[in-house]
Amino acid sequence: MQVMKKGYLFGTGRRAALPLLLLVPGVFFYLLIAFGPSLATAFYAFTDATGIKGLPINWVGFENFREFLLRGAASRDNLAALQRTLVFAFFVTTIQFSLGLLLAVVLNQKLRGRFFFRTLFFMPVFLGVVIQGLMWKLMLLPRGGPVSEVFSLFGAQSEFLGGPPTQAFIWVIIVQVWANVGITMVIFLAGMQTIPSDLYEAARIDGARGWQLFRNVTWPLLTPAINTNFLLNVIGSLQAWQLFLVLTGYKPGTQVLGYLIFAEGFGQAGGASSFRQGFAAAASIVLFILVLILGMVANYIVARREKKYMA
Amino acid sequence: MTTETQTKDLLSGGTQTTTRRRAAIASYVLLAVFAVVYIVPSLLVINTSLKTLPEFFKDPIGLASSLNFDNFANAWNLANFPRYLLNTAFYTAVATGIFVLSSIFVAFPIARGYFKGSNVLLTLYVIALFLPPALIPQFQLILNLGLFNTRPGYILLFLVNPIGMIILVNYMKSIPRSLDEAAAVDGAGYFRFVWKIILPLIRPAIATVTVLHAIGIWNEIVMPTIYLTSADKYPITRGLIVFEGVYGSDWPGLAAAVLMLIIPMAALFMFMQRYIISGLTAGSVKG
Repeated sequence: MQVMKKGYLFGTGRRAALPLLLLVPGVFFYLLIAFGPSLATAFYAFTDATGIKGLPINWVGFENFREFLLRGAASRDNLAALQRTLVFAFFVTTIQFSLGLLLAVVLNQKLRGRFFFRTLFFMPVFLGVVIQGLMWKLMLLPRGGPVSEVFSLFGAQSEFLGGPPTQAFIWVIIVQVWANVGITMVIFLAGMQTIPSDLYEAARIDGARGWQLFRNVTWPLLTPAINTNFLLNVIGSLQAWQLFLVLTGYKPGTQVLGYLIFAEGFGQAGGASSFRQGFAAAASIVLFILVLILGMVANYIVARREKKYMA
Repeated sequence: MTTETQTKDLLSGGTQTTTRRRAAIASYVLLAVFAVVYIVPSLLVINTSLKTLPEFFKDPIGLASSLNFDNFANAWNLANFPRYLLNTAFYTAVATGIFVLSSIFVAFPIARGYFKGSNVLLTLYVIALFLPPALIPQFQLILNLGLFNTRPGYILLFLVNPIGMIILVNYMKSIPRSLDEAAAVDGAGYFRFVWKIILPLIRPAIATVTVLHAIGIWNEIVMPTIYLTSADKYPITRGLIVFEGVYGSDWPGLAAAVLMLIIPMAALFMFMQRYIISGLTAGSVKG
């Protein structure tokens, strides 16, 4: 049997099977714990699976989806979580994208200490959600914490993360952006460094200054980095929820879909029937469809931009 | 700025230099504001970790009156820190090692297009980034394999990283094919060729992928919450959250614990940031 293509030079016959043999472990792990389970989510969504070993798994048709979307008070909470996911993604994407771009533009100048600042803003990415979250819990201590002190300068007072859901939600958005804007900035910076400097020279000779330089040189030529950041931010923020876990816990009025999936599936949502994994799988499919639709919209916007600038 | 533009500025008179100076001042003001937002949380953690509990309750943000290192000793012992740190290091090292080794031998034949369907396999890795979260079926799998709350089961969860695979494939594509020919003419076997010749050449990509993957495992909090129920298997992240649950209002103790985690991470960060940044930006800025 001819397993390898013509270009393969390291032996023939049985000896040629070696690369395939060595490839097996990696592909096996991938199919077993990533690709397979991802697809299997669609199967579990139609069952009443629990997290308890040995309990039978029954086919329940569209029951989980019906419950998620149509059933009274509970579905109102689910739909609220869905809506909140969109709100969270919108604000995180917009703010993180704009701030990341602003910081990149500023740090792309030959300023003294620019490497220090770049490192500083990128640092939280390295620390991970637990440390990010605990740091900000301390920052947001309602009595006597630094942010609270700043608030009191203006005569304001807040319980921050322990306050009304909307307030807590806003703080999670802020911390989310604080933690991840460094990635966006770094991708923009890398993009800016690929723009040849003689293009700026040429534009300057034509009389372009400041904003015009940005609008007519940086913005169009930054297209690949803009696309990457836009897609990453949209998809990433729709799926992000781990800061909620550290900052607020499963607090009513702040849940987003990602957290709802975890809480329902692994008994953090409370109630008698915890570990509702069939239902959690159905919620995963809902989130997936959301990511797919918005990802496609984002992709469409990106493709249109590309046509405009890269033609 | 090139010398050419500088000369041009001088020639075109003072106005442009003034605008440029103004832009520089505005930039520094902006950077300073942001710097405060990024530095203060760390300083706060350091300051808090040096306080006694009564001192903290009296004034949470005042400067620590003395250097009091008791919190560190307490956190180290109470929080079972050495155990958790060892667990984290173990999980990170083993899972990253297996992942990187197995991935090299997947990425290379894909990059070379050595076998039929290698493009399909690559596509399979790319679409993984968009598929639904695998949380539930993954759990059912680990449960049914009898690997729930075991170290091998926990490690198994971290043997895959599609982004890492894509970075490796892209980097390997830049290695000239003539090397294959030369090695084959010299009579080298496939394994020897990949191990002795390709591996040293792709070292930057390996460093990037290793660091990216290791950070992910080191900082992971969801997986240990789901899969590990006995405290002696907890990684440090889970240990910290449990510590917070028990000693929630003991912020000096908690801050000391957090700081002990930040210090090694920060040190590592200084050495490794080049690799992480190159990994995050790989392929994202070219068309």
